[in-house]
Amino acid sequence: MNNFDVTRRSAMKLLAAGAGVLAAPSIIRPAFAQSKVVNITTYDKFVPQSFIDQFQKDTGIEVRIRLTDDQGKQYNLLTAEGAAPSTDIVTVTGHRLSQFMKSNLLSTLDTARLKNWGKLAAAYKGAPQLTVDGKTFGVPLLAGFEGLVRNTEYAKASDSWAIMFDDENKNLTSYIVSDFLSIVMRYQGNDGDYVTYGDKPDVAQAATNQARDFLIQHKDKVRKYYDAGSELQQMFVNEDIYLAQAWSGPAAKLIMDGHPIEISVPKEGTFGFLYSFNIVNNAPNADAAYTFLDAILSSPEIGAAMTRQSGFSSAFDGVDKVLDEKERAALSLPPEQVDRIQFFSSVNRDMKNEMIDKATAEIKSA
Amino acid sequence: MLDTTTQPPSVGLSTVPRYAGWIGKAARSGLYRHTIGLLVESRRVRLAVLAGVPLFWIAMLHIGPILQMANISLLANYPPQPDKSSEYTLANYALFFSDRLYFLPFVRSLIFAAVVTISTLVIVYPVAYYVAKIVQPKNRMRALLLLLIPFWAGELIRTFSVIMLLANRGALNVLLREFGFIDRPIPMLYTFFSLSFGVIYLLALYMLLPLYSAIEKIPTPLIQAAADLGAGPFQRFRRVILPLSKDGIVSGCSLVYLTAVGVFAAPLLLGGPNSVIFPEVIATLFHGSNDKWPEGAAFSMIMLVVSLTTVGLFMRVVGGRSVRLM
Repeated sequence: MNNFDVTRRSAMKLLAAGAGVLAAPSIIRPAFAQSKVVNITTYDKFVPQSFIDQFQKDTGIEVRIRLTDDQGKQYNLLTAEGAAPSTDIVTVTGHRLSQFMKSNLLSTLDTARLKNWGKLAAAYKGAPQLTVDGKTFGVPLLAGFEGLVRNTEYAKASDSWAIMFDDENKNLTSYIVSDFLSIVMRYQGNDGDYVTYGDKPDVAQAATNQARDFLIQHKDKVRKYYDAGSELQQMFVNEDIYLAQAWSGPAAKLIMDGHPIEISVPKEGTFGFLYSFNIVNNAPNADAAYTFLDAILSSPEIGAAMTRQSGFSSAFDGVDKVLDEKERAALSLPPEQVDRIQFFSSVNRDMKNEMIDKATAEIKSA
Repeated sequence: MLDTTTQPPSVGLSTVPRYAGWIGKAARSGLYRHTIGLLVESRRVRLAVLAGVPLFWIAMLHIGPILQMANISLLANYPPQPDKSSEYTLANYALFFSDRLYFLPFVRSLIFAAVVTISTLVIVYPVAYYVAKIVQPKNRMRALLLLLIPFWAGELIRTFSVIMLLANRGALNVLLREFGFIDRPIPMLYTFFSLSFGVIYLLALYMLLPLYSAIEKIPTPLIQAAADLGAGPFQRFRRVILPLSKDGIVSGCSLVYLTAVGVFAAPLLLGGPNSVIFPEVIATLFHGSNDKWPEGAAFSMIMLVVSLTTVGLFMRVVGGRSVRLM
């Protein structure tokens, strides 16, 4: 310390460095808002790298991907950014759209600016999950459902969710607690999507508690509560679990990769969902976002690549013809099982979220 | 302390002409003299300005976020939304004390952190002693480096390496099966065992370095003298080595405990259905379906205060008066 001599020159250098560091956020922040950039928050493996490379080459627009693994995280981060978002496109599931819209986070999609809008599969054009008051709020991308997944070498086949609670499968099952709660409510003959509970919170709470207690009672069957599809895949590959409730995408991906896995929809039914790309309100690069969305719709090969990577079914027309037989088989279900899928509704989401979140925490803590 | 009597005469504006070129021109300009020149003219002001930068940094990036977290913990709603009020309330703190649901994982976290800390100390102490006292001085740095190599990899990579080791088709089960010890894999992953194993592995470094540093400073002749005077190995350890390595134990335990109590990624990847700990509950409040940041912030503040208090008490009781928290 005795040798420390503060000269004017060293003081100026340090002051300049300090000022530079302090000014960095204001220099970096506008980088989100360059016209030749599009910032996308999405799930892992949703956007094929080959498409990104080609798009960047063709348009000169840099694609910046930020990964998320949960709708809640995406919602919270976007809400925290408020009127100055740093992302242009988010990936919202149809049933969570109302929550995003209520917080004024999404902008209406001007489909006239998408010359390839017509290339969507007929079933998804103007999909009810993405339409509010006649206005469209997203480009449908991928569709999936929550299925019963089993390792065909070790777990016996079953047409009921009851197998998840069989003593034979002690310590061998896995599920996403909040998702499986809805399915168990349905398994118990209740409304797992809360659509009919709008004016009956007591009934909803009783049904939730019934499912919660049932899952706590059968906690010994669970090896792990998981959150991300990659965790599930890893547990099946390592043979840590033989049975699971899972989104169809990660399960179908395992099937495509040749693992002894099967996905089915038990007789009690399940829920389906639709992912879409949505333009954020006050998006810093809205024009680039529209260019990106139009490009992604341009060919069924892009949809097929998204399906191959994610395992979910594509919402684009003609993708079936591009996929090979093995890939089609991994995605297909018998017609009677398809009929058992009920798409999540956006009705009464607040009540559902509140009760499911609480019950999830209670199950985990029990 | 700076000794002003030995300093050269003022390096203020009077010496400006010794700079040549554009710096000299800039330094002689009126704009400079009435702005930066005034700031850097006096040694005291220069020091104040220089200290201001790191102090501002600490305040903004270290203390600021904690204060903001405390602020959010007192709000009724956050992030701000058009249809919700955001007045101040203590309800988020009351929720913690009123619901057993949150209290249980909290207690579980504290016990888990304490067990991990004690286990890490027991496992790492002999290693630190071996490197500090048994290994030849010329080889010590090499031995220490070998022990540190795994820590060059990131936390997540090390966590996944534990998964690859303990999974049903992991290295350990494969080995046991190959040697015919087992027919079916032993479910080691997603249990308290795998969680503790992983966290101890992740945090061993925080124990190793303070312990090594403390043990290495113990004069070897002192241990030899104790042996000459008839003290057995246990007595030498209890009466000489342990008291003299107390500073390392206190530092290591504090670091490991504070990290273990807030560890998040490892429990998520290695824990099972019965090992849900408090940071996971907090994360669920931030990332769940609903926006419950204020509750999450309140619980974070409670965890911060309780863990700091616990460590403070530990340092006071075990470390003695000379040891301070910061």
